[in-house]
Amino acid sequence: MTEVAPALELTGIDMHYGFVRALDSIDFTVGQGEVVGLLGDNGAGKSTLLKVMSGAHRPTGGQIRVHGEEKHFQSPSAATHAGIQMVYQDLALVDAQDIATNLNIGREILRKGPLGWLGFVDHKAQRKRSEVELEKLGVRTAAMTRPVEMLSGGQRQVVALARSATRITGERNGILLLDEPTAALGYEQTQQVQALIRRMADQGIAIVLVTHNFPLATAVCDRISVLNRGKKVADVPTAATNYDEIVGWVTGARASMFA
Amino acid sequence: MSMTVPHETNEAVAPAQAGATAPVPPARPEGDPTGIRALIFIRDRGIFVLWGLLILGFALWANPFFASVTNAVLVANAASLTAIFAAGVAVGIICGALDLSIPGVAALAACTCGWLLENGQPVWVGLVAGMAVGVVVGLANGVISLRGFNPIIVTIGTLSITTAAASILVGGYTVPGLTQLKFMGTQRYLGVPAPVYIAAAVFIVGTVFLTRTRDGLRLMAVGGNAEAVRRSGIHSDRYKVLGFVISASCAALGGLVTTAVVTEASPAASPGIIFTALTAVALAGVSLAGGRGSLPRVLVGALILATIDNGLTIKGIDPYWGTGLTGFLLLASLGLEKWISTTVSNRLVATAQASVHTGTR
Repeated sequence: MTEVAPALELTGIDMHYGFVRALDSIDFTVGQGEVVGLLGDNGAGKSTLLKVMSGAHRPTGGQIRVHGEEKHFQSPSAATHAGIQMVYQDLALVDAQDIATNLNIGREILRKGPLGWLGFVDHKAQRKRSEVELEKLGVRTAAMTRPVEMLSGGQRQVVALARSATRITGERNGILLLDEPTAALGYEQTQQVQALIRRMADQGIAIVLVTHNFPLATAVCDRISVLNRGKKVADVPTAATNYDEIVGWVTGARASMFA
Repeated sequence: MSMTVPHETNEAVAPAQAGATAPVPPARPEGDPTGIRALIFIRDRGIFVLWGLLILGFALWANPFFASVTNAVLVANAASLTAIFAAGVAVGIICGALDLSIPGVAALAACTCGWLLENGQPVWVGLVAGMAVGVVVGLANGVISLRGFNPIIVTIGTLSITTAAASILVGGYTVPGLTQLKFMGTQRYLGVPAPVYIAAAVFIVGTVFLTRTRDGLRLMAVGGNAEAVRRSGIHSDRYKVLGFVISASCAALGGLVTTAVVTEASPAASPGIIFTALTAVALAGVSLAGGRGSLPRVLVGALILATIDNGLTIKGIDPYWGTGLTGFLLLASLGLEKWISTTVSNRLVATAQASVHTGTR
């Protein structure tokens, strides 16, 4: 079996704001079908690293490889083009539109024939495609024609995740960056989102999960990376660590694995 | 109404097991409870019911003059101008911007057309030039607003500019005797005046565009959440400009039809246009926050205004009673919509919680 390049590989990423080193030669990889948790205290550099991955920030130094190819993202749309989708905390759904429209916007199915040339959308085909896609993810929310404003917080999160997931499952599975996907959710809804994240990974999507929620991270991640003041202090399989160790790395009480 | 994602409580220790979760049963999403559907029906279709009640009431009260085909044509004709302007206001609001330049654009389009006709140009040149005025002002509104200025202030600016331009063009006087435009003014086809056909065409095309076409759906989505559209890889700015262009084009069309009806082009912009149009739009429940609204409802909003006017006139009641009544209707519909929205969301939250906790559906 040949060596498969990681879906996303960052090597030696530096990020300086003036004299402040926000990121200090960070190495980070996530493979296909792997969920990697990115933990750290506020200001540890999690969000900055995530923004580097999503193309929102250009790193001062270091390399980014997507499926083994080196990339220089000039903008978030360049990262999107390379198969990287970021799911933001604010979800960015169109409230007044239904689930199908939200899932299909930007990649609408047009009707066949002259009506299609006029830009007519095939609502039926869109609903069908969305149903298939959601079923593939093992998600059943509400009727496809339900406006997003009438969904619960967990359902909205599921729709937002599914929207991103359906945009990166091309010939090669993409990379999904999640920023605090369960921040606004209750216990039950967190469980649902957690299950969805696992299923997306099982389909080969590479997932980076930024969170403050340690139980979520230990439950859903294959591997956990911890940042502390811009440096990576730990990178371990979830099975090989425990809650206390993670808290130790996050707070800085425990010495770095790489010191 | 349920989330049937299975609860994998056992995976908290070993994430690797999560892949082996039970497959989700391929069930169809079930419908909503009847109560909620009824409330949503009232919210979405209530204005049609209201109009029906008004017609019924006036038909009984003003019998036999109100409920006749002749009078229906009168009502439709009276509503058509308001409806055309209301369509412009509505598309602007749906796309996220209240376009206040509408009266000015109408006046400038009318005067451009009138001036060209007075100078011996053929009718089609006048009409095309009038519509072009709408497109150009709409583009200007859109492009300036995109620079980060408040659309309301920008369109107040273009309102002044277009009004002034109209006066300058025709030297401050009304252009009279434009009988060439009679074919789209007072002329009747099959007993129905031309403006009714024009308004009908605007609403049919507009409704199909907004609900059936890719660009229309994106336009509505931009009004609802421009950021969501942008993140989907779409140039949301283009659709914002498109909203302004459609809005100003409706204004220009309204100005031309007004000119055709009164056979003269007046450079005086009447701000009353926009408030009547806004009343119809607000009655139709188009949210000023943008992203939602339906043109058929806006049409009925304009028809309600015309119906009230017409019915009260037949009964010989002073028109200001009608204005007052409209105000009350507007406030009442606002209250009703608020109540329905909160009730629906409360109920939905209740059922969502229940289904999650029982874990059965």
